[in-house]
Amino acid sequence: MKIFGAEQERVLGSLYGAEAAEVYSALLRSLSLVLEEKVSPLSLALDQGNEEISKPRRVLFDQGVCKLPHATEFGGMGVPFGVYALAMELAAVADASTAMSLGIHNTVADAVSRFGSPEQKKRLLPVLLSGKKLAAFALTEPTSGSDARSMHTKAAHEGRYYVIDGSKMFITNAGEADLYLIFASMGTGHGAFLVEGTNPGLKVGKPLKEKLGMRASHTAEVRLVKCKVAEGSLLGKEGEGFEQAKQLLDSSRIVMGMICVGISRAAYVAALAYAKGRDLFGKKLSDMQLTREKVANASIETNASRLLCMHAARLKEIGKPYSSEAAQGKVLATESAARTCDAAIQLLGGYGYTSDDVHRHWRDARLLTIGEGASEVLRLLIASHELEREQ
Amino acid sequence: MNIVVLVKSAVDEAELKADPSGHPLLKGVSMKMSTFDMNGVEAAVKLKEQNGGTVIVLTLAGAEAKKAIKEAMAMGGTKAVHILAEAADAPDSLGTAYCLAQAVKRIGAVDLVVSSEGASDTYQGEVGAMVAEFLDLPFIAYAKKVETDGVKVKCEQGLMGTVRVLEANLPAVVSVVSEANVPRYPTLLQVMVAGKKAIEEIPLASLKGPDYPDTGTEVLDVSIQSASRKKVLFDGTPEEAARKLAGALKEEGVV
Repeated sequence: MKIFGAEQERVLGSLYGAEAAEVYSALLRSLSLVLEEKVSPLSLALDQGNEEISKPRRVLFDQGVCKLPHATEFGGMGVPFGVYALAMELAAVADASTAMSLGIHNTVADAVSRFGSPEQKKRLLPVLLSGKKLAAFALTEPTSGSDARSMHTKAAHEGRYYVIDGSKMFITNAGEADLYLIFASMGTGHGAFLVEGTNPGLKVGKPLKEKLGMRASHTAEVRLVKCKVAEGSLLGKEGEGFEQAKQLLDSSRIVMGMICVGISRAAYVAALAYAKGRDLFGKKLSDMQLTREKVANASIETNASRLLCMHAARLKEIGKPYSSEAAQGKVLATESAARTCDAAIQLLGGYGYTSDDVHRHWRDARLLTIGEGASEVLRLLIASHELEREQ
Repeated sequence: MNIVVLVKSAVDEAELKADPSGHPLLKGVSMKMSTFDMNGVEAAVKLKEQNGGTVIVLTLAGAEAKKAIKEAMAMGGTKAVHILAEAADAPDSLGTAYCLAQAVKRIGAVDLVVSSEGASDTYQGEVGAMVAEFLDLPFIAYAKKVETDGVKVKCEQGLMGTVRVLEANLPAVVSVVSEANVPRYPTLLQVMVAGKKAIEEIPLASLKGPDYPDTGTEVLDVSIQSASRKKVLFDGTPEEAARKLAGALKEEGVV
């Protein structure tokens, strides 16, 4: 399967103009060749637990995927955020778990880039963008997910240190990460702290092995027990943590939406190939009207999802508000991915139900209507924006 | 040392389809660097890394070849020379080799010209040898290993289960086979930097001298060879089917 094709090239052309699109297309075409040869062949084994995610993730780090949207000053490539978002679609076609692990890691790099001190940027961005250090984003808690403001983890300022106590749940890259971005309540507001994985006060729980999908990515609880960090670990200022998290999630939702576009494509292409080859009632399965309805719906929803996510990315690039559009893109992409992957299982019939290689796409997609803002909460956010606009 | 690597912009064979009469459907098919040329570029870039110097990517094609040139540049090409020839004026292999050789002369002070074993779309495998002839340089074909000390080039050639080691004085022309190396994947940064490097363009007509070999060769038709299969199904239990299959294979003289 060709991971980068005319659809992506056309989107780049319409957003960035012919000349820039040519450069970005060359980047993504080159990336897709690597994904096709080095990542896609591992994907089934990754889902089945027979390969380690560090292997394909290293391929993407070495290619420089994380460098794409960051400033050149600290080792980034200064490419528009939308090009990075498209790169994440391609990565997810090859393997969704790897794409998600990388996307979450890069959210932490984004945090350092936006809110970090010059010292933090100089120290951390080169190692994060090259993948010498892996990062984890720790906001969710056992009793607070979308309602992040009610977090129970607390940080107290004690002399030249902060002491963090609490628990974070469903943390992607937990156990593997060298650096954790921990959000904690500070009485009058929240704070975000960069905590080394080697900190004796940071304990990683047992990996959550019974996940429905995204099985190759490591997920676990992270406990903070009198976790003492230097003052210089605070990102930005005390009290800014919640606002930082909101901004980071706006951006990350575009990426998660594009990951779902990639998952949809992987399932859709596999189902289409099957439908074209399967004979029944003297015809091909792809000739049946009800099959064609599924194909058309998958195509409409996948393309619409990509365009809405890329629209949000473009708004971000030009400095316009994009919180609602990012949420809309994520809701559409994640929910339609689940529908498309379900249709793919239906088309493949018994093979769809019994083969990991088909139903893993549905299992992977299913996470993202929950993670990084559940669809229900995002709808509330979208509605708030709409109502404010109408006033 | 200065190395020129010959690169062809070829149709992407992964996208190639044929109409019912077997004629390739080329409309909308992407172009890319010929798959085998990636081995040529890899060999040239490795020699540059070992010996220093430059790798000049040289191609003869229409504007669509820009993509192939940039792919080669991303792999480590230092600069590129593009002989611009639109499809209607595209010469045959001999004319192409003549023009490439003229361009090599124009570049000047070239120590080594590297080509691949053939193009991944037409696979005629002629141009490398012809360029050597036009330049009056030694030619080593089908090298699976290339080394140089800057004075001589030493190659290993695999022939029918034997290995022949050949050496020639520089300057020389060498064609490499796909076993010679595993082409590198450029990083995204290398791809972006390559996209910004200048490409020197030379009009085809400016290279044609009075000795240009106008052979009048024309490609009249291209069609895909199809291999027919017998598609025999053996029924029965697995044991019965296996016995029938073995019998049929014996009958065909396969075993």
